[in-house]
Amino acid sequence: MSKRLGFVSILVALALCLAVAPSVAADTPKLIIGAIYVGSVNDYGYNRSFHDALTTVARNLPGVKLLEAENVPESAEAERVMENMIQQGARLIFPTSFGHQEPAFNVAKRHPDVYFEHAGGWMMSANFGNYFGNTQAAWYPMGVAAGKMTKTNKLGFVIGVPIGFAVGNVNAFELGARSVNPDAQTTVVVTGGWSDKAKEAAAANALLDQGCDVLAMHVDSPATVIQTAESRGAMSIGFQSIEARALAPRGWITGLGFTWAPYFTEVAKSVMAGTFKASSTHLGLGEGMVTIAPFGAAVPAEVRKLVTASADKIAKGFNPFTGPIVDNTGVVQIPAGESWGGDKMGNFKWYVEGVVGKVQ
Amino acid sequence: MSTPLVLGVLAGAILSGASLLYATLGETIVERSGIVNLGLEGILLIGASVGFAIAAFTRSAYLGVVAAALAGGLANLLFGWLVVSRRANQLASGLAMMFFGIGVSALVGGPFVGAVITGLPKWRPSFLAGLPWVRSTTLFNYDILIWLALPVAFLVWWALFKTRWGLGLRAVGESPAAAFAAGRNPSALRFQGLFAGGVLGGLAGAHLSLSLTLTWAEGMTAGRGFIAIALVIFSKWHPLRAVVGALVFGGAEALQLQLQARGADVSPFLLDMIPYVLTLLVLLAWGGARRLAAPAALGRTFYGSD
Repeated sequence: MSKRLGFVSILVALALCLAVAPSVAADTPKLIIGAIYVGSVNDYGYNRSFHDALTTVARNLPGVKLLEAENVPESAEAERVMENMIQQGARLIFPTSFGHQEPAFNVAKRHPDVYFEHAGGWMMSANFGNYFGNTQAAWYPMGVAAGKMTKTNKLGFVIGVPIGFAVGNVNAFELGARSVNPDAQTTVVVTGGWSDKAKEAAAANALLDQGCDVLAMHVDSPATVIQTAESRGAMSIGFQSIEARALAPRGWITGLGFTWAPYFTEVAKSVMAGTFKASSTHLGLGEGMVTIAPFGAAVPAEVRKLVTASADKIAKGFNPFTGPIVDNTGVVQIPAGESWGGDKMGNFKWYVEGVVGKVQ
Repeated sequence: MSTPLVLGVLAGAILSGASLLYATLGETIVERSGIVNLGLEGILLIGASVGFAIAAFTRSAYLGVVAAALAGGLANLLFGWLVVSRRANQLASGLAMMFFGIGVSALVGGPFVGAVITGLPKWRPSFLAGLPWVRSTTLFNYDILIWLALPVAFLVWWALFKTRWGLGLRAVGESPAAAFAAGRNPSALRFQGLFAGGVLGGLAGAHLSLSLTLTWAEGMTAGRGFIAIALVIFSKWHPLRAVVGALVFGGAEALQLQLQARGADVSPFLLDMIPYVLTLLVLLAWGGARRLAAPAALGRTFYGSD
């Protein structure tokens, strides 16, 4: 028994050495940024978008060092990871998953001299701000692209869980598609989870069986849906990270990605200057947090022009959710003269006219 | 063109049922030898991640399949060491194996998340490709694992019910003491059964990552290992009934997605329950039948003659 104990303690000691080693090596940086991700940064999706942005910040700002932790669960474990980063000198922390909010807030309370920027939440305090990209309106030009490219007039949209934000994305997509192609219909399939790959493949196949020739998605990683579409000769529109285009060399149309780098740079600078002020920042297309991916080779110039034009319109403040907007059962949901803004974006419980599906 | 519902469901049932069938066949062999492996979910994950890692590393999906099968077999041998050699409790060891599988697969698959692989090549007989209803679905456009699923089911049936080895394995599952008295080696037979079952579990995982989704993500089996354990009961420990079971379970998943894709107004959450309601019905209907009962020694530790 004691032999085993000895072996285990050697292992533990080794692990400790490995864990401590990286912090010893660097020369003293001006700011250490800590980032925690709920998944892997190689997901071609949500986590990748944050990793890419923070790497850019660390590269462009002299004296900034980045500590990253992947696969951090949305539990008390997250608190331990963040505490560890603070012990290593981190003074700015990016908890990037929605569920990291409360653990991060707890840590923030214990460390008033460390600043936090949480993605997608609402909690705030003197050293705890939040931000997110406004994706809904940005889906409108995606719909324009899909509506122009489709030959069957059938678009497919795979979503994980029918939360208001995802429903809003679908609605803007269909509104954009109908603006250039009145016959375009969007069919929604819900998988029931943000990351059930086999079901995403089955959902994509079901849509393709129905003759959909463009697939879009709102799940954690767009990889499976895009690759399923690609393997069956259909086109795809990506979401979360614009790098997803590498997965579909033939059928890629375009996609939406988050670009956090400009905002993160400002935040990092403010922490270094001692002027950090917690805010709730929500920016969309043209404002720095959401961007449109490069077009695929198959997209003709006139379509590119239309998409870019509608993206410009959105960036200049055009709100696609301006009444009258009728849902797909014929009920007027947004009366003429009204429009839905940022605070209402989580509230969609209905699909617009032209969407096949029902919010369950 | 849009496909008739029944074809869409059938196509979907075959695609997602193939991996369920391999997992169910594997667990059937294992349970026929009197061992419950609740760690099947972990075996599937190990198969999926090892298969994906090797396929990404060597750029050969077939090597990935072979590696996944071996990894699954080895994982089950480890389980066998616990429950056969060390006579540990099967349920506790099985759950431990599941968590072990989750951890190992995350470790192995970690560096390969986001890798782009060429999946298993698909092949469709040319005389079928001309039919429009075939072309508009995934029907008959299958990789080697799907084409082999049915033959493997027959092979397992033949091995279990038509060979001397299968007779011995089943005897051990009913009464290890009697089999031992008749000159069979219960431990050896159980290890053989576990290895075969692990190989099939590894193939089930490989099909998910190397053909269906072309990705590796932590926990990507999403409970399919447990569905397969339910399927073993659903099919009453019979490999050929497992084919029907896998199609029904795969079909239930396909049905709810296909219905959504048609805009049918049914709750996907309600439809998700169908397989489990069916399992309960099967248990209610045939649960007490002597001929269809579980192997008598299932889950019991055999302490041998000492």
